[in-house]
Amino acid sequence: MPKVNTFKVKVQTGLQGMSEPVHFNFNNHKLPFENAVGSAESGKVFEGSFDVSSFAHSLTLVGPESGKWEIEKITIEYDCENEKPYTVHFGRVTLDEKTEVNIWQDPPVLAFDV
Amino acid sequence: MNLIKRFFTGMKQEAEPESSVMAEEVEKSTVAEVSQPEPQPEPEPEPQPEPETETPSNFPVVRSVIQISAISEGVFPKDSAEVLIKAQPSPTGDQCLFTVNRPLMTGNSWFFSDFESAVESSLAEALFCLDDVETALVCESTVTVTRKDKTLVDWVPLAKEVGTAIREALGAGKDLIAEKIISNLPSEEKIREGIQKVIDDEVNPGVAGHGGNISLLAVKGNSVTIQMGGGCQGCSAADLTLKQGIHTSFRKAVPMVGAIFDETDHTAGLNPYFS
Repeated sequence: MPKVNTFKVKVQTGLQGMSEPVHFNFNNHKLPFENAVGSAESGKVFEGSFDVSSFAHSLTLVGPESGKWEIEKITIEYDCENEKPYTVHFGRVTLDEKTEVNIWQDPPVLAFDV
Repeated sequence: MNLIKRFFTGMKQEAEPESSVMAEEVEKSTVAEVSQPEPQPEPEPEPQPEPETETPSNFPVVRSVIQISAISEGVFPKDSAEVLIKAQPSPTGDQCLFTVNRPLMTGNSWFFSDFESAVESSLAEALFCLDDVETALVCESTVTVTRKDKTLVDWVPLAKEVGTAIREALGAGKDLIAEKIISNLPSEEKIREGIQKVIDDEVNPGVAGHGGNISLLAVKGNSVTIQMGGGCQGCSAADLTLKQGIHTSFRKAVPMVGAIFDETDHTAGLNPYFS
């Protein structure tokens, strides 16, 4: 449960997109992204970031208020306190007005070659 | 006259602040008496926010959280002729996961509890030759090792020995897992029945005292996936319950069970312990 300084998200939308602003839910606080570029419309790429400076308990990408949002790929770059920056990739998922998808993942555990 | 009426009206407003609507009506009629202006069109009512049809109450819609697995970017370079092994100690330091770029046991898994259980399994025999290895779980291309000395947290020296042992076993060309183990593996249905029975008869009655429950999500080969719910989800002692309670009960009741995966998201939900 590290302290997240910032995180950047890149979402590749599949066939069915949405025109609503993209929101995330950090520790049950629904917020819009900062520095948003692109869109979540069909086939488009959305990029956004947020300066959190808080401990992460949960982080989700929120579905649209109406309709469906087919996500092809989600890439998140995390910058956490006392951790090396790390990137996590998630695959296909479809969101709607009743769903959100978990995009939080703890920093990778140290691994070494033997 | 108008001034007097305004004065009385003002007094009335001060005396009865709660009847401000009535006072306003009196004032309006006073103005009408004096100047008799042209009839004013009725003021349009202020637009009221439309009531939300989907959520009649003020509570926000509780969305369900979808869990999807992160995509692995590839631990090893593809098609490497060399045996590559990565060691990944658990955050608590009680066990270490070794991932190999070779299949060790395909489709099933096996838990070696001691040296005796390792007979004819060259991989396990090599591992149990190391003094500090307590148990070994072989699953697909991974080996999870626990150590006897629980006071040591530095896995590097033992991990290097384990790496050497795995390479030697792979190079020897013998059966990594004994033929008698593989040929006697029970069907998924038998594993499912046995695990479900121990959950219903032993595990769930035990954790029910803490408001918890365990459910069997999937059986693949002889590996099972469970989920902890109720009071167990997000509990700080969930790891202890899983390893010392559930694992022990499962292996005692169904000795042929291999890997036991926990799919619980301990940070999800409205009120998990960790949040």
